[in-house]
Amino acid sequence: MKRFLTPQGVIGFTLIVIIVAIGIFAPLIIPPDMATKMKMTMRLKPPSMGYPFGTDQLGRDIFFRVLLGAHTSLGIAGAAVAISVLIGLPLGIISGYARGAVDNVLMRIVDTLLSFPALLLALTISAMLGPSIPNTIIAIGIAFTPFLARIIRGEALRVSAMPYVEAARAAGTNDAAMIWRHILPNVLPLVIVQATISLAFAILAEAGLSFLGLGTQPPNSSWGLMIQASRDYLDVAPWTALAPGAAVALTVLALNMFGDVLRDVLDPRAQ
Amino acid sequence: MTYLLNRLFSIALTLWLISVITFAVTSVLPGDVAMMILGTQSNPTALAGLRQQLGLNDPLVAQYGRWIGGMLTGNFGHSLVFKEPIADLMAQKMKASALIVVMSMAIALICAVPLGVWAAVHRKKWQDTVSSSAALFGISLPDFFWGIVLILLFARMLGWFPSSGFTDPSVDFLGAIRHAFLPSLALGLGLMAHLTRVTRSTMTGILNQEFIRVARAKGLSEQSVVWSYGLRNAVGPIMTVAGLQVGYLFGSIIVVETLFNYTGMGWITYQALLNRDVPLIQTSVFFIAAVVMLTNFVVDLLYLLVDPRIRMQ
Repeated sequence: MKRFLTPQGVIGFTLIVIIVAIGIFAPLIIPPDMATKMKMTMRLKPPSMGYPFGTDQLGRDIFFRVLLGAHTSLGIAGAAVAISVLIGLPLGIISGYARGAVDNVLMRIVDTLLSFPALLLALTISAMLGPSIPNTIIAIGIAFTPFLARIIRGEALRVSAMPYVEAARAAGTNDAAMIWRHILPNVLPLVIVQATISLAFAILAEAGLSFLGLGTQPPNSSWGLMIQASRDYLDVAPWTALAPGAAVALTVLALNMFGDVLRDVLDPRAQ
Repeated sequence: MTYLLNRLFSIALTLWLISVITFAVTSVLPGDVAMMILGTQSNPTALAGLRQQLGLNDPLVAQYGRWIGGMLTGNFGHSLVFKEPIADLMAQKMKASALIVVMSMAIALICAVPLGVWAAVHRKKWQDTVSSSAALFGISLPDFFWGIVLILLFARMLGWFPSSGFTDPSVDFLGAIRHAFLPSLALGLGLMAHLTRVTRSTMTGILNQEFIRVARAKGLSEQSVVWSYGLRNAVGPIMTVAGLQVGYLFGSIIVVETLFNYTGMGWITYQALLNRDVPLIQTSVFFIAAVVMLTNFVVDLLYLLVDPRIRMQ
């Protein structure tokens, strides 16, 4: 516990709690029209008392749009990482535990998938399925799976070689019980570390996909989409890009800070 | 020699798998190429005719065979959007992207290695905090956001560099560099942050080792202990990570090239995806994955040259 209490860990964790709280509660507290109400007389106004982050090209309040965008951006990233863990974890454990031919075939495929840049894979899947929020989640989830599977496989391989696994086998434990009781619990710390770091990458990926128009679609709003919309007004209204950009940066920074500390504490390879 | 043969076989197998995965992702998913060419308002007879002509009614295996057969004989087909042979497009666009990938890698390495070494040498002092915080901040910003900031600063406010476009280096070399500079910097900043972190952790590990203590005990200057004893041992790991980052770069160029209207691989892949130009999507996705895989192979070979200890095994 003590090792979590570094300044970096505490700041990162506090920021994550605040941002997640905004993601969950903002849509419940803020009336939706605060972010969607268009006022043509208030187009592209710089930050002021009434509009702390300024207004966008349709006269909407950027402050509320950034707060509400947290829900979409975090939701997509979280669901995508959940998908990649749900696929990557069994794949990695089976590969690392079974070894031999199963491992060879699975890892050959995973290695090949790793040759595809994750963003390219996600963009292609999203474009092929047709851009929408569920498809964005599927696309990012699949694109991140090979990386997770690779890392979990390495850890499962390491854990499988431990003396206590050998002892359990000598005691007559079958494969299912072995994986459930001995391998999985010892692989989980690494999974938590990697999931935290992947979450940061997933937020960047969602922003990238939405920025290219192949992620979240209007009228939904996400940070990436806001940055995309701001492109045509950069000369006259740079704040339209800076506010959502800063939101992405702060979230990813918090996840990375906390992820670094988690890794130092939980990852056996870092000790 | 056996090693090399093994690797060559493995490359051929991986290239084949890349082609299967690319084809699977782009063909199994819904979407009608014939309708994309003729438009949604076209008459059913014309659609059926074109489907027949393009061989879209054939089984998937036959379609795959035709695609891979064409690739092996250098016939990549025609782009539906650009109405040009895909082979010509790939050759031009790869060249454009190679320029920014190399430039961004150079920018990243030139800055990251000294910064990372500096942080490792002054571990847990203010220098380390400054360098590590900057790196952490750097990896947290999306590269298209860097791109926007760079456009605002260097193109709009200062006017030092053009904010969009591409110039062929063989026509106007200086112009090409000027056009490629901002996109390369946008890509390079995130990469630099990542490589700084890698250099720092690798160097920290190395500087704690026995042979460094011996070198210091021999009375060598700190300069030569760090740079010629320490860094020399860090080159391999840094190079490997830099090689792996080429994959990341080829993903990021899609966003950055689009932002800067820089007509390279990323830009054309995006155009293909937006217009669902399936033949062009298949070939460019295949090429990007193949280039990433081959780069990592070359890095592995370079590792052998840099680190004789690996060769012995």
